[in-house]
Amino acid sequence: MANHSQTPNAFENQTMWAGGRSPFNVSYGKLMMWIFLLSDAFTFSSLLVQYGAQRFSNVVSPVTTEWPDPASIFNHFPFMHGLHLPLLFVSVMTFILIASSVTMVLAVEAGHRKSKKEVVRYMVYTIIGGAAFLGCQAWEWVTFIHEGARLDSNTFGITAQGKEHLGKLSFGDHFEWMLGDRTNGPVPFAALFFIVTGFHGFHVFSGVVINVVVTIMAYKGVFEKRGHYEMIEKAGLYWHFVDLVWVFVFTFFYLI
Amino acid sequence: MEFYNKPGEYDAINYIPPGESHGTKELWKTFWILLGITIFDFIIYFAMDPGGWRNFIFIFFGLVKAYFIVGAFMHMKYEKITLALIILVPVVFIFGLIAGLLYEGNAITWAKW
Repeated sequence: MANHSQTPNAFENQTMWAGGRSPFNVSYGKLMMWIFLLSDAFTFSSLLVQYGAQRFSNVVSPVTTEWPDPASIFNHFPFMHGLHLPLLFVSVMTFILIASSVTMVLAVEAGHRKSKKEVVRYMVYTIIGGAAFLGCQAWEWVTFIHEGARLDSNTFGITAQGKEHLGKLSFGDHFEWMLGDRTNGPVPFAALFFIVTGFHGFHVFSGVVINVVVTIMAYKGVFEKRGHYEMIEKAGLYWHFVDLVWVFVFTFFYLI
Repeated sequence: MEFYNKPGEYDAINYIPPGESHGTKELWKTFWILLGITIFDFIIYFAMDPGGWRNFIFIFFGLVKAYFIVGAFMHMKYEKITLALIILVPVVFIFGLIAGLLYEGNAITWAKW
């Protein structure tokens, strides 16, 4: 590429769409990260659209077995065994991911000021947040599998008796499944839960690995020598995208 | 690291526009908005009965969250409009796919009768 290089002035004066410069006024790497995120957005969209279509094809109780109610399944919280605490744990997970998003963006901001120490510090916070989220998700999976969730079957079809039982519960009550509360439900429920949250968790994992790599590079002074911290921005775009996907996973798997 | 631009060398591949800091005020504001919406979702979840309106509120505020994450955290508000359009316009078509498949999915429920 070096033989194409020009002086700053000649570069800036080149016509916008005539080639030889970026019409979007972003670097090549950042543009390609955006294109990748667009394709990844389609990947997650197809998974969530599939979830929606499967769910809508199992809506009415006398016709099909109803889609399981998330409030009666994801109601556990670590160290509070046997209590009915719907939504609490995922809300904590959401908070962790939002917090790690804000430390990420603070690292990007510190990179603009070329403050190496702050970049490394905020990146370490971001990595801790990502690791904490992964830990939470592992616990969630273990609990769900322990409750009887499998890829090829679903025992979370709530019977009329189960509905009555669950309807009487309020937040923080003692909770245990009773015999006859559950029957077989729509099979794609647990499978889609594992596929979508698993795919998202895999993205979080890759994000943590990328963050560790760029943090080590920042710590070693690679970006200082390069003169800019753009690599932090690219890692940041990916990390925020993971947060963005979680917003929709949270909405469709837990809230609705 | 031969690939990355050296000071004084400019071309389309190696060009890095000078990044500028907008300060941390907006970032923290965005954080509080996102946190506030999450807490609001949590309250609505218990305050309202399950149904269409509650789902509408959740989806609406999910989209609001998406706006703040993409706009402020991912810096899209400050990018050139051409870049924002090539990334965001294709996503709009997903909404059509969602509407179509939810409708057909619902029809399958009744076909199972």
